[in-house]
Amino acid sequence: MRLIIIKPKTEFVVTVEAEITPDLAEKNVEEIKRFKVYYGKDRVELGELFEVTKEGDDKKLVLDGDFSRVKWIGCRMSDGEIVVKGNVGANCGAYMAGGKITIEGNADDWLGAEMRDGEIVVKGNAGNLIGCAYYGNATGMSGGKIVIEGNAGNYIGEKMSGGEIEIKGNAGDFIGTEMKGGTIIIHGSCGFVGGDMKAGEIKIGGEFELVPTFVMQEGTWVGDVNVKGEGIVRKL
Amino acid sequence: MHHMLHIKNGIVIDPKNGVKAEKMDIFVKDGKIVEEGEISKNEAKVIDASNKLVVAGGVDMHAHIAGSKINTGRTMRPEEMRVVRLIANKFRTAVGRVLLTSPAIGYEYAKMGYTSAFEAAQPPIGALHTHEELDSIPMVDKAALPVFGNWHFVLKYVAEKDMEKLKAFIAWAIERTKGFGVKVVNPGGVEAWMYGGNVSSLDDQVPGFNVTPREIITSLVKATEELQLNHSVHLHCNRLGVPGNYETTVESIKLVDGIKNDSRQVLHVTHVQFNAYAGDSWRTVASGAEAIAKTVNAMDNVTIDMGQPIFGHATAMTGDAPFQFTLHRLTGSRWSNKDSEIEGGAGIVPIAYLPKNPVHALQWAIGLELGLLTDSDKVVLTTDYPNGGPFTEYPYIMAMLMSKKMREGELERVSPFVQKASNLPAIDVEKSLEEVIHMTRSLPARVLGLPNKGHLGVGADADIAIYDLNPLEVDTSNDFEKIYKAFKTAVYTIKDGNILVKDGEMVDEYWGKTYWVDARGKADMEAIKDDLNEFFSKYYTVELQNYGVEERWLKKPERIVI
Ligand SMILES: [Zn+2]
Repeated sequence: MRLIIIKPKTEFVVTVEAEITPDLAEKNVEEIKRFKVYYGKDRVELGELFEVTKEGDDKKLVLDGDFSRVKWIGCRMSDGEIVVKGNVGANCGAYMAGGKITIEGNADDWLGAEMRDGEIVVKGNAGNLIGCAYYGNATGMSGGKIVIEGNAGNYIGEKMSGGEIEIKGNAGDFIGTEMKGGTIIIHGSCGFVGGDMKAGEIKIGGEFELVPTFVMQEGTWVGDVNVKGEGIVRKL
Repeated sequence: MHHMLHIKNGIVIDPKNGVKAEKMDIFVKDGKIVEEGEISKNEAKVIDASNKLVVAGGVDMHAHIAGSKINTGRTMRPEEMRVVRLIANKFRTAVGRVLLTSPAIGYEYAKMGYTSAFEAAQPPIGALHTHEELDSIPMVDKAALPVFGNWHFVLKYVAEKDMEKLKAFIAWAIERTKGFGVKVVNPGGVEAWMYGGNVSSLDDQVPGFNVTPREIITSLVKATEELQLNHSVHLHCNRLGVPGNYETTVESIKLVDGIKNDSRQVLHVTHVQFNAYAGDSWRTVASGAEAIAKTVNAMDNVTIDMGQPIFGHATAMTGDAPFQFTLHRLTGSRWSNKDSEIEGGAGIVPIAYLPKNPVHALQWAIGLELGLLTDSDKVVLTTDYPNGGPFTEYPYIMAMLMSKKMREGELERVSPFVQKASNLPAIDVEKSLEEVIHMTRSLPARVLGLPNKGHLGVGADADIAIYDLNPLEVDTSNDFEKIYKAFKTAVYTIKDGNILVKDGEMVDEYWGKTYWVDARGKADMEAIKDDLNEFFSKYYTVELQNYGVEERWLKKPERIVI
């Protein structure tokens, strides 16, 4: 019923960079084992670090074990499904264009950075910089949906232009900084919100701090006037 | 390493020595080109260059490859640092899209068959930093040109018309910075920027000093010629990036009318494309290239380089701090301003040249016009890296200068604004292979005053590039794709007789020399002692004795005593 199961063989001494996507499921096990990943600065084959088994024909990867030191999982994926049974490392789902990633544990920083479409669900907590633009780039997440069942860190949805980020718990500071579109929903509380926000909407259930450059209009805050923004911040 | 090489059966083009696509062998011993009789055939490593082009290694006389500007550019443009070119192994990690890391700069030059590269604007107070970075660039010989045009000592001595002190100061400054020559950036304009202004003509008064840009340029040229420095004054003109600036460029070039030097020009005007705009606003802007080319062609003591924009990403970084602010206001892009105390300043702004943008397309056309309309003995091929774009696209410029057909194809994809605002579409000139080889080798070597570079005559440094191109068969008008591909990656790059690139792949890392010029013997160094003490105690953040770079700190210094 599931297609590819990937399990770490050891505890990793340095981080692994593995741009694995459900496209792997179209290959046979031997080919998948030869897929190139970085282990620190060394270019190695997936099969050297992970056990790979194949069951059934779905376009689906099941990552079984601790992937907290494995970065770039699902990077640029456009369809299919990835289920991570444990924690996942940074940049998971970066530039994602479609499909679904479910993380049963926690996610590290840069989850869904610059993603364009698709869905990411984290059952645990997530780190900083969810759906952000990479440093130096102009636009973060532009479409799709990210759901965090737990809490999240700082810098959520920086420069995002579309799509939706929903955080069921609390979040940190700098939510929706330089946001240009899309929606951020935080059910719990968070810190500073909306700095240099140009457009889009942020809805918050709990406590939060707003930068002083927002004006109250018909029960919502509009700003950031500092950049002639028309973003909306409101209570959930 | 082989201390002798026998490069066999190649087709040699060596403009300096009048060799026009001749089948001949080249012999190398101990890093130099030698006569056949100097090597023993059974000991020499033989390189079969049959049907391949053999030329001197390329010489980049104007690029920004080291120092605080490029490093600030790297810092403020993390997005430039995501292209991984090489993972550390036998070589070091090489990273960068257009802004490259230091090792990447050396590697990319070597892959392209270039063996020398000059940092064109060293802030004097940042000399140590510049040399630390130059010492991290492998494969090529290098040097740096400190900037003089806004330095308070220079403004003072020009105002006082004290040539002896000016000469002594230049000699002192070049020695302290381990520099190579006199770079001048927007003379007087950067000092005016200290008060938020700029200069708008050669005759504006520089605030606080009783001098004009005209006087700064002519005095520095006179001092440089009296010192007999290897390289002439290297001028980044006033009013860069302003519509109508071509008139100032023409006027600046004419300032040296009548001044003579037997071995080289007395003024090199750099990245002229940025100073070749007619019109009086960005709406009426047009090419001023023809007037500049005519002026340069009519004089026998001026050279220029193109500053050709390449469509795609670039980063504007110059010592012309007021221009950089104007550019930031124009594009809304990130901006960094640098202050180098009483020496001048600099600015950095990211830019991308887009073919459909009318102004960018015009800049692209103007660069090519300058390359085509100026005598091939007077115009050097540059992109003013990274201001106009990557130096790795020099092969594109070479191919474009040689093929009208290629230009016609390119003109179809750029803004039609070019059709009315420039003459590029009407220019039929097609440079020969020999001419572009000259413009990338023997000419820049002569302009810099490096007699052992840019040619393959006996006694020259064994800096050699071999390309997969048979000049006896290639049709440069039509085979532009082949030309581009051939010059992109050398079959062999040889530096000081060492094979660094083979079949397009790097095989060895090598550390080139850093040239610096010692002219202290040509001036009365005592004359400026009191002024140095006074200025350093009053105006500098550093003590005089802590200022500058000692020769022993450099990896492989090559002192040129004049
Ligand atoms: Zn330059």
